[in-house]
Amino acid sequence: MKNRLRVLRAERDWSQADLAERLEVSRQSVNAIETGKFDPSLPLAFKLARLFETTIEAIFSDEN
Amino acid sequence: MESKFSNSVNRRFHRRSLVVMVLYVLSLAVMSQAIDHLHPKGMALYLLALLPALPIVAAIVIIALYLSEQKDEFVRTLQIESMLWGVGATLTVTTIWGALEKFAHIRPMSLFLVYPLCCVFVFLARVVVKRRYR
Repeated sequence: MKNRLRVLRAERDWSQADLAERLEVSRQSVNAIETGKFDPSLPLAFKLARLFETTIEAIFSDEN
Repeated sequence: MESKFSNSVNRRFHRRSLVVMVLYVLSLAVMSQAIDHLHPKGMALYLLALLPALPIVAAIVIIALYLSEQKDEFVRTLQIESMLWGVGATLTVTTIWGALEKFAHIRPMSLFLVYPLCCVFVFLARVVVKRRYR
């Protein structure tokens, strides 16, 4: 699954560690999601959407 | 870097595991000394022989607790994936060994070694699984 996490994070000048702390997950989790190696659960996707004040669809897309 | 919550879960897991490992070594020592010197029979022998198995059961419960307490879904997924590969490898090796033991009469493997063997496979699987997500 593709995502815009890296862009959204860069817009706020957050490091992966910053985002991980805000999400209460490990930095490896953020990295795995960002690189598309790990798809987050729905609750974590909602948490991301709330954090970036946008919708899940604006962050994730199911195109390969 | 892991989250603060994940760190506390890991610390708790390592503390519990350390206690269980100490109990395991102690129970092995007590059991073998008691059997060698007291020569127990019947129920006493059974209970003594069971002693080192109890910390192993506790170790399995500790792993289950870790999985239920770990809120970082990615870390939990890595652990579960590693455990599945580890258990699969253990079942494969013990099944092959069992067949060779039964039909080719090779040296029997002690069932007591199955858990340590599984731990080794889970550890190796964890190294591979972590590399895959790097």
